[in-house]
Amino acid sequence: MIIVKDLSVERLDKRIFENINLSLASSDITILKGNNGSGKTTLLKTILNIIEPSVGSIYWKGKLLKKNLYDFYSNVTYIADRTSSLTRLTVKDNINIWKKIFLSNINDSQIETALKTLRLENYLNQKVGRLSLGETKKLELLRLIIENKKLWILDEPLSNLDEHSIELIKQTFEDHCSKDGSIIFSSHQNPGIYVTEEINL
Amino acid sequence: MKFLNKIIFFFYREYKLNLSGFQDILTNIIFFFVSILIFIFSIGPDEEVISLIGVGIVWALLLLSSTLSLKKFYQDDFENGNLLIIHLNGFSFGFIAILKTISHFLFVQIPFLLSIPIACIILNISDDKFFYLLTSFSMGSLTLSCLGSISSSMNLMNHRNYLLGSVIVMIFSVPIIIFSIGIINIEQNFNSLINILFGILLIVFAINPWASGLCLKLSLENN
Repeated sequence: MIIVKDLSVERLDKRIFENINLSLASSDITILKGNNGSGKTTLLKTILNIIEPSVGSIYWKGKLLKKNLYDFYSNVTYIADRTSSLTRLTVKDNINIWKKIFLSNINDSQIETALKTLRLENYLNQKVGRLSLGETKKLELLRLIIENKKLWILDEPLSNLDEHSIELIKQTFEDHCSKDGSIIFSSHQNPGIYVTEEINL
Repeated sequence: MKFLNKIIFFFYREYKLNLSGFQDILTNIIFFFVSILIFIFSIGPDEEVISLIGVGIVWALLLLSSTLSLKKFYQDDFENGNLLIIHLNGFSFGFIAILKTISHFLFVQIPFLLSIPIACIILNISDDKFFYLLTSFSMGSLTLSCLGSISSSMNLMNHRNYLLGSVIVMIFSVPIIIFSIGIINIEQNFNSLINILFGILLIVFAINPWASGLCLKLSLENN
C-alpha cells in the first residue's frame, strides 16, 4: 500500500530524522514511537506530502506518491494531535458538516450507535468548546468512521483518553484491519495494541 | 459531480461558521456606522460639506471595517488543522484560496453592501452617486477580498505583528479607492473607470490563488 524509502527531513539546517524505512500493506498497523520533539508529527506530515523530504521517496500503490496524490488523498484520513472540530458549533453540527464535506454514506443510526459506544450521545446539542479534552478527542476519532477510508494516519490518537476509550480504539483498529484497512499512528507508548511494525524515532 | 458537491458543502460549512460568529460581522457593521457618526459630529452640521465628502467617507470606512475581519480569514482554520483536512479532501491550496475569497465576499462584504443605502441616507448622498457607489463597491469589495486573502495567508507565518496584513491591504487598495471615487466625481468617465476597476479585479483575482496558495502551503509546512 505505502512504502517509505530512506526518508530524511531537515528543517532550518537541523536534521529531524534520517533513513526512515517503512512498508505498510493492507491490514498492517505501524506505530511511530519517540519522545517529544523526536519528529513523529513531521514524519506523518511528510508522508502526507505536506513537508518536503530532504532525501528519500514515498510510494503509494507502487507509484511515486507525488504522481498519485489525488488517489492517495481520497484513501486517507488524517487525525492531527489537536482538534479540528469547530468549537463554536455543536457536536451535531460538526458531525453533519463532516458527513457533507466528506460525502459520507454513513446513516443516522450508525452515527447514533457510534456516539453511544463513545458515550457522547448526551452531548449532541452541546457546543464542542464546552466538551472536555477527552470528549473532544473521541469526537475527533468519530471522523474515522464518517470518512470510511482505507488508510488512517493518526497523530497521538490515544492522548487524553481514558481506559474505556483506549479499549474502544483497540477494537476499532482491529475491525479496520479485518476489513483490509491500514493504520499508521504515533504515540509515546503502546498500551497493548497489536502492531506489525514499530519505528523508533 | 462529487467535486461540485464538495464545493457546495464547503460553502455550507462556511455559512454555518459565519452564522455562529454572526456577532463578529455585526460588530464590523456597528463599527462602520459609529465611525460615520463620529465623522458627522467632527465635521459639524453643514449638510453640503457632508454630502460633498460623504462618498469618500463611506469608501474609507468600508475599507477600514472590512480589514477588521481579515484576522479570521485563514487563522482559525489554520490553527485547528481544518485547512489541512480540506486540502486532504481534494482541494489544492490555490483552490482553497479562491473558495475562501468568495466566502469572504459573500459573508463579510455583502452585509456592507447592504448597509451602503443606510449610510447614504445618513450622509445625504444623492441617488445617482448612490448608484455609482454601489457599483464601484460591489467590484472593489471582491478586489479587497482577494487582497485580504493574500495578506492573511502571508500573515500565517508572522506571529509577531498582525497589523502588518491590514497595512498591506490598505496600501494596495489605494488605486481601488482612487478609481472608485473617480467614477463618482467624474460621471462622464464611468465606463472607462469601471473597466479599469474590473481590470484590477481580474489581475488580483488571477494572482490570489497562486500567491495565497503558496503562502498556505509554506505556513503548513513550517507549522
